[in-house]
Amino acid sequence: MEIMHKASSSLSCKISFFPSPDNIDSPRTLATPFRHSSASSNSQQLQLQLNRSKNHRPALSPLRCTASDSVKPQEMASKDGQDPRIQKISSAIRVIPDFPKPGIMFQDITTLLLDTKAFRDTIDLFVERYKDKDISVVAGIEARGFIFGPPIALAIGAKFVPMRKPNKLPGEVISEEYSLEYGTDKMEMHVGAVEAGERALIIDDLIATGGTLCAAIRLLERVGVHVVECACVIELPELKGRERLGDKPLFVLVNGA
Amino acid sequence: MSAYGDEDPRIQGIKTKIRVVPNFPKPGIMFQDITTLLLDPKAFKDTIDLFVERYKGKNISVVAGIEARGFIFGPPIALAIGAKFVPLRKPRKLPGEVISEEYILEYGRDCLEMHVGAVEPGERALVVDDLIATGGTLCAAMNLLERVGAEIVECACLIELPELQGRGRLNGKPLYVLVEYQ
Repeated sequence: MEIMHKASSSLSCKISFFPSPDNIDSPRTLATPFRHSSASSNSQQLQLQLNRSKNHRPALSPLRCTASDSVKPQEMASKDGQDPRIQKISSAIRVIPDFPKPGIMFQDITTLLLDTKAFRDTIDLFVERYKDKDISVVAGIEARGFIFGPPIALAIGAKFVPMRKPNKLPGEVISEEYSLEYGTDKMEMHVGAVEAGERALIIDDLIATGGTLCAAIRLLERVGVHVVECACVIELPELKGRERLGDKPLFVLVNGA
Repeated sequence: MSAYGDEDPRIQGIKTKIRVVPNFPKPGIMFQDITTLLLDPKAFKDTIDLFVERYKGKNISVVAGIEARGFIFGPPIALAIGAKFVPLRKPRKLPGEVISEEYILEYGRDCLEMHVGAVEPGERALVVDDLIATGGTLCAAMNLLERVGAEIVECACLIELPELQGRGRLNGKPLYVLVEYQ
């Protein structure tokens, strides 16, 4: 039995799955290593209304790598200070308005996963940063952290530890409750997956308010692990998740304004 | 035919890393826990390598992974063979336009979704999950891909529970597994 849920009328119709590249020449996409505000967000909103039925829109604007203090920043290849791979990664991310509810601009990384080079570059950027840093644990947050974490773990020779929603992990777990906008949720990790003194990286696709990452940090620290850094593909700086991580450094590839 | 590669010396190491947790999620079920495999970098790497060696050079352009444990094994395979990774998800997780396929559970039904436009007609696809039990989920996954005109090359899992006869539920499509649990 099939349920067609908002399916396209023709299976062979080529929906432009990638955002149109019309933002590439605009000044705000020039890479800088510093934050800048998305002054054009109002015009983007209008564009969104028009593009909504096409289900794509120009992707994220500010492109930025952040370097933590405790992990030495990698060399930037291009003279404006940004790794040349970032642009393609950023433009491969699709923004879906009003998902999962009105007002939310959802950062969809699935389009990045369809671009084999951009996906490869994403992983490489993290691997280059974290290999040789004696990291023995990569913890990935369910579910999109499961996509980026394992390739990084494999490349740097670390174990991968899934951080899961309640009642998914079998056997003994420890739990950490955290706040949502409305209510709370829980994150779980296996007892015995990590040992005291191990050095860990936490991976998720995106940091918004930082609540989920915070819960992951607490779980690892409760068992004596040293969290070296949190790493995400995307940051939503307006939601100030970075501050919520306190003294824990955060590294991201791209800003979603 | 069960091509579960038991001659390869890496298989034994992989098998010993899988932990069986009795009575999870409910009494009577012997749950095959792959998280312990993920804690062993060599065994995890060997797992991926075994799949990559089998599928590179086969012109596979899509690796579809079933939420959530298929997300752990699918992407490393996709990256290594130069294919795109397509997540197949529970309902309402994927934003934007999706197609859905309903499938039967022991009690009730569930649904798997895929993005419209992620896969094009004629693409050659691999479907990856950690385990095949009854085959219901894998079947739904294959249906989604075939509905958009993709060609299923093979289904690939770490573990098969042969007593549940999932292999026969795949509409004649081949299945490759590393380990059987009797």
